[in-house]
Amino acid sequence: MQVVRTMGIIKISMEPPVIDVKNLVKRYGDKTVVAGITFSVAEGEIFGLLGPNGAGKSTTISILSTLLGFDEGEAKVGGLNLKREKTGIKKIIGFVPQDLAIYPALSARDNLSFIGRIYGLSGAVLAGRVNEVLELTELTDRADEPAGNFSGGMKRRLNIGAGLIHKPRILFLDEPTVGVDPQSRNFIFEHIERLNEEGMAIVYTTHYMEEAERLCGRVAIMDGGRILAIDTVQGLIGLAKDGIIFLGIPSESTETAVKPFQPMDVRSTMAPDGRLKLETHRVDESLLKVIAVCKEQNIAILSLELLKPNLETVFLHLTGRRLRD
Amino acid sequence: MKKMVVNQIFALTWKDLKLFFKDPKAMALIFLQPFLFIVIMSYALAGVFGSGKPIRILAVNEDTGKEAGRVIEDLSRLSGIAVETAWEGSPITRKKAEELITKGRRTLAVIFPPDFSSVLEQSPAQKDRPSTKVLLMVDPATPASVTGPVLGAIQGMTERTAFTAQMPRGIDYLFDQYDMTQVGISRDAFKRKAQDSISRSSSSGEDKAVTVEKTTPKAMKMERFPDSFQQNVPGYTIYGVFWIASLLATSVLREKREGTFTRLVAAPIGRSVVLAGKLIPYYLINVLQIAIMMAASALLFKMVFGRSASGLVVTSLALAACATSLGILISALASTEAQASSLTVLLLLMLSALGGCFVPRFLMPPALKTIGLITPHAWALDAYQDLIVRGYGLTDVMPKVGVLAGFALIFFVVGVRRFRFE
Repeated sequence: MQVVRTMGIIKISMEPPVIDVKNLVKRYGDKTVVAGITFSVAEGEIFGLLGPNGAGKSTTISILSTLLGFDEGEAKVGGLNLKREKTGIKKIIGFVPQDLAIYPALSARDNLSFIGRIYGLSGAVLAGRVNEVLELTELTDRADEPAGNFSGGMKRRLNIGAGLIHKPRILFLDEPTVGVDPQSRNFIFEHIERLNEEGMAIVYTTHYMEEAERLCGRVAIMDGGRILAIDTVQGLIGLAKDGIIFLGIPSESTETAVKPFQPMDVRSTMAPDGRLKLETHRVDESLLKVIAVCKEQNIAILSLELLKPNLETVFLHLTGRRLRD
Repeated sequence: MKKMVVNQIFALTWKDLKLFFKDPKAMALIFLQPFLFIVIMSYALAGVFGSGKPIRILAVNEDTGKEAGRVIEDLSRLSGIAVETAWEGSPITRKKAEELITKGRRTLAVIFPPDFSSVLEQSPAQKDRPSTKVLLMVDPATPASVTGPVLGAIQGMTERTAFTAQMPRGIDYLFDQYDMTQVGISRDAFKRKAQDSISRSSSSGEDKAVTVEKTTPKAMKMERFPDSFQQNVPGYTIYGVFWIASLLATSVLREKREGTFTRLVAAPIGRSVVLAGKLIPYYLINVLQIAIMMAASALLFKMVFGRSASGLVVTSLALAACATSLGILISALASTEAQASSLTVLLLLMLSALGGCFVPRFLMPPALKTIGLITPHAWALDAYQDLIVRGYGLTDVMPKVGVLAGFALIFFVVGVRRFRFE
């Protein structure tokens, strides 16, 4: 049984998971880059892997896309064993790499036709499918222009389109919005949502918490090759409970800095950057009190930052670091 | 402000120096490549620029008299030529010389006929006096720049010996014209007779008692001596053909860098299919390249490509397989396009030089000549020369084609095993 939240709707799925990962480990020499992760993805779910660069997200997605081998654990993709049935898995997945994996000298149509042929499409079926994907990515008008002439956003759309040409059951998207302007980013989000509405399961890696919050039903927060928490977005935010106030004040030691705020209903610690970190479940209310205390105790406020409860604060709560540190 | 700029420049310089000295491949390319190239090219070109060993000529002396021996002695004294009169302790025979040239052990042999001395000893006054031929047997792949001076030297030495041998006969002829007891011989008449006698001794043109003629071993079915295009085009063609390796390797590494290779590996096709898909188009381009180079040489330079079209096709196919497989190997060894380009330049220039594409291998020192055999270039060049200038056919070149196919197989297998798909 799977709990799936898709487009804001929570469903109970009785289908077996489309991706099932147990204690997956990947090492490069002595370095463990994926350290025993376990998770599953349900049919028709958008599942997010959120974490900073180097967290192990891309390695995980590369393993599940059959691009990389793994050292320990087991995994099934589309019900097929990842170690023994790679060719079968390749047929049912679409992979959109982080890099723009398109041929700039070829037109959009030629790029899609080439990838389609690689996946065994031909003749009228291929031509029809190429036209569908061109339409889906809104590149029909410029289909016969070399992709090298396209804007960054158009190239990204073509990159995604190339991963869809064979109508995959599961789509892996590895940070598909890196270097994309806000308009194209929204366009990409809309496409992903449309694909998901059609029933496609999507695994989406990102280090932008806004993207995970908008798109993903469930999110696994990764850091250092481990999954720190896995839940729906609301469930994860519930983990942190509190918002955070970062306060820059002159202080000689943690003890002296924390002392004036101890009577308040906040958890006060020193952040690694030397600022005072006040965790509170009522950020706005606490902020007024903090300012009042500072005024009363004659403490100069050098800087002030508010973080309302979101995936960023969850990550901070779990690791003590920010997503983009 | 100035200090800050200086510090920034210093920091940038330090950073790039540090990066450079942390990259052993880059260091090898910068420091080792020119050194290796200097060493190889200097040794390879030593024969051409005169600082190397002399050109070796086999001397076959069938002469029953002593005159041929004198010519051979004179030749031995010439700098730049080393005359070999014996092989493994025995005097060299015509058959042995033919065998050594056919097998590619030597490239030149001078053969003095049995009647060499007796012809020279004939009186220049004799009517229908006999003549004879000294043969310079050559491997037709030997460039004219080598055979020309050797032929000239043998002609010069032979004529000098002939003149020296015939001069006494000329003097005899002069004095035979007069009764020396007779008084009042006209000074002018004597002078004319003396000039006639000397001219008979040093006869030229069709009257020459001894001529030097270039020939090839009978086993080589030569119809005529190759022209400069037939000698140069195969070497430069092979040199050009191998550059496909650079194109192929950089194409693979560009696909890896741009991510399109990842997309291919993620697709349901075998890894060997991915590599074959990379290799086949470049193989076809390579074959087309060879065809165009040969067609252009035939059309523009009226070059004749021997008698065996099938031999040329099979050799060219094996050569193209070698070049494209080398591209796969380079793409497996290099990590970046820049590395692949540099590695290809280093490898191809060295292989071409060692393989005899720039300088005939027989002019190289023996060690370098032997090392040349580890290059596919040497085998391909030899096969082409067999077909184009030595008049051989398909079956004759099959062993060399087999070696080329072996090189292709080794390059491909090692390349595939070392190839990083991840």
